[in-house]
Amino acid sequence: MTVLPILKSATLAAVLFASTAVFASAKDVTISVWSGGSGPNDNYRTDAFDIAADILEREAAIRGEQLNIIVQKTPYSGWEDFKQALTLAAEAKKAPNIVATGHEDIGPWAQAGLIVPVENFIDLDSWPISDIYPNLMEITSFNGAVYGIPQDAESRPFFFWKPYMKAIGYSDADIEALPAKVEKGEYTLKNVLEDAKKMQDKGLVQAGYGFYPRTNNGPDYWQFYTSFGGVMEEEGKLVFDKAAMKRTYQYFADLVKAGVTKKNHIGMPGDQWWKEVATGKAGIWHGGTWHYARLVNQEGLKDFFANVQFTLVPAGEGGKANTLTHPLAYLLMAGHTEEETQIAADLIKIASEPRINALHAIKSAHLGISPSETKVDLYAANRWASEATERLLPHANAMPNNADFGKYWTIMWKNFEASWTGAKTADVAVNDAEAELKSALGAAIIIR
Amino acid sequence: MIAPAAVMISLFFLMPVILTAIFAMTNMSTATGISGGAWQVTQGAVNRLKTAMPELANGIAEPRFVVDEEGLAALEALKLKAGFTTELRTSHMGEVFPSRREAERVIKALKDRPSTREVKQISDLFNRSVLNTRFETRDELMASLKKLGFTLTPAEQDTVAKATYTGWVWTTENFRIIGNSPDMAQIFLNTAFYVSVTLLLFNVSYALFLAITTHYMPASTASIFRAIWLLPRITPVVIYVLLWKWLTWDSGFISMFVGQFGYPPKNYLLDSAYNAWFFVILINGFIGASMGMLVFSSAIKAIPQTQFHASEVDGASRWQQVRHVILPQLRWPILFVTCYQTLSLLASFNEILLSTRGGPGKATEVWSLAAFHTALNNYTGNLEYGLGAAMALVLVVVGIVLSLIYLRIFRYDTLISKPLIED
Repeated sequence: MTVLPILKSATLAAVLFASTAVFASAKDVTISVWSGGSGPNDNYRTDAFDIAADILEREAAIRGEQLNIIVQKTPYSGWEDFKQALTLAAEAKKAPNIVATGHEDIGPWAQAGLIVPVENFIDLDSWPISDIYPNLMEITSFNGAVYGIPQDAESRPFFFWKPYMKAIGYSDADIEALPAKVEKGEYTLKNVLEDAKKMQDKGLVQAGYGFYPRTNNGPDYWQFYTSFGGVMEEEGKLVFDKAAMKRTYQYFADLVKAGVTKKNHIGMPGDQWWKEVATGKAGIWHGGTWHYARLVNQEGLKDFFANVQFTLVPAGEGGKANTLTHPLAYLLMAGHTEEETQIAADLIKIASEPRINALHAIKSAHLGISPSETKVDLYAANRWASEATERLLPHANAMPNNADFGKYWTIMWKNFEASWTGAKTADVAVNDAEAELKSALGAAIIIR
Repeated sequence: MIAPAAVMISLFFLMPVILTAIFAMTNMSTATGISGGAWQVTQGAVNRLKTAMPELANGIAEPRFVVDEEGLAALEALKLKAGFTTELRTSHMGEVFPSRREAERVIKALKDRPSTREVKQISDLFNRSVLNTRFETRDELMASLKKLGFTLTPAEQDTVAKATYTGWVWTTENFRIIGNSPDMAQIFLNTAFYVSVTLLLFNVSYALFLAITTHYMPASTASIFRAIWLLPRITPVVIYVLLWKWLTWDSGFISMFVGQFGYPPKNYLLDSAYNAWFFVILINGFIGASMGMLVFSSAIKAIPQTQFHASEVDGASRWQQVRHVILPQLRWPILFVTCYQTLSLLASFNEILLSTRGGPGKATEVWSLAAFHTALNNYTGNLEYGLGAAMALVLVVVGIVLSLIYLRIFRYDTLISKPLIED
């Protein structure tokens, strides 16, 4: 009678033992991926790793190794909370293996030792990395090492609501020629203000809707500084061009004064903004290439090309038309075993292959990272991707990778907002910014 | 019985304050990290060294990789494939490369095909420069510099270490920044305005008004009113603030209502600094008033009914009762509420964060919110722990000073002195 239970448990133990033996020979690796600023159209930033893991597992199987990769995905829709969570997690040694974030984080995170150079794990001369646009690879480099693999590219156009442009006297041919005129500097930010005013005076849009900018801080606002002749960095040193910054601050103060932009625009609910630009409540606005995806997929703007024209950010006084590309990059976080990081790096490499990256590019209306990606059917057949690539990308600048750039940005934006809302005049704002930059950055910034 | 209190005080008050003070004396940020740093000769460090030590700065400004006997010996010691050493010795001995990339291209092309990790390991051995190398200790950096032929005096070593250190350092700079920045002064004024107005209008005056008026109501009506005024406090703050947003947004209730009279919709919450303050103070005041109301109501309840009856017999009006019976006996609760609410208004920012986020244009940015934004949450991800902690420390000092002033104004010593009658 007692033999049976003993036999039972012995069998059970044997089975358990055998099963662990099987698992032990298989390699289980958990790779965690976080991404910032990832809305519903950006799911392939993290989902690409499911595909990559599948391929890597199959490759391992062919080599005779059993590799089992569990991908843990954590996309964040915003930036503030994402950067807070990631920085603190990394300081607490709980960083994910891979993170997709803006390239400007490379500077401070590399200095703090939170990330490791991706070139330590990936041969940059091998495909598909060798095929990525060199200027994008440049953007993900810092202190002579490549820290990240560009995850996407984009650029940030101006948008014009075609029916209103017609209503204030532009012919179809004029509107068609607008991108070229902007590029040559014949249509400037001054014209933007005038046309926005005309639209309002004609009653096409409500007061404050003529020019309808981004509702919160973003890289976009550096474009205006560039339009007015400003430079962000020269030979590794940040540059604060007082005159250019003043013209930038003044331009937004003028927009408010003319009534074409709302004084309290910053901080308005984002959802409302999207709905309004998608339904023609705004005359002229600016955004990013990825806005196309949201306008068409989520906001119900069915016929984008019939209603919207897009151009570079027009030139202002002392500068030229430009746009900004703010590539996200896959970075490898420190604090993991070399083996895990190597698998994470291999996954990044596979996820950067043209066909997989194109899924993200087209779904989210970002731009491709390599020439061969533009030849993938999905990409080539997409009107937005091909037109935007051609019209915008050659003129794109990027923000510098500089460990102090965040400080500069915070101070620049604080005073931007203050002069916009009228809390300070443009003069005072520029002087305050200068004083604070001097005290915060000292010799690390050139002020002129 | 003093031990438990002492433990509690040191754990929950002194320790956080001391930690904040320690952080406040550093330049800790995202870029410096919290746990310490390394020594790295970056382009920025070379720039910093150019004025003090131009010769050294020029000498270390370029990367240089050399295939030499020393490197080959080290490679042999690594016990990777023997072919690597042999091939490098026969085909590449003495070659100099101006960048890591170029050196690695040669290593990658070796017939035995080293892996990416091995390529890195090998190229490290032939690195004859310090540019961009991360040294975990100061001594390693100095040793490498010595190998390159730079023998430095201790003073020079300090200069180099200072210029190349990536971690945080002790500094009082944060307090200088706080003292000199016009924005900090503005935030300080914002805070003073916010705390004093909310405190005076709502947390004390309005609470007192509610307590006194409900005191003169029949008991059941009074409890209904008190329950209503408790709603803002017991509603989860996110939902409570969301209700205010629905009220004030462009597409919210106020806009819809005045839209009936032909006014264009606008965002009343963020329309101007005045609007924002108006709503911020209402949002906080409604929450704060309920606390004072409860404290004051129960204090009034504790006043012996006989005093009210006696004053009525003497023909006192309601106002005279309030003035001569209620208020004198509320000194203690008023002190408590004023003191407590000052501190809580100084430290709390969640309602502002959820409603205006400090906007429009930093108009409603108060000290604690600014400290939070600086140290922990901003768009650029540049978290300045040191500066934020310094800001928090200022708040601690302000809180203690204000409490002492309150104790003096309300003559705390007389409140706790022994009643004469029982002597």
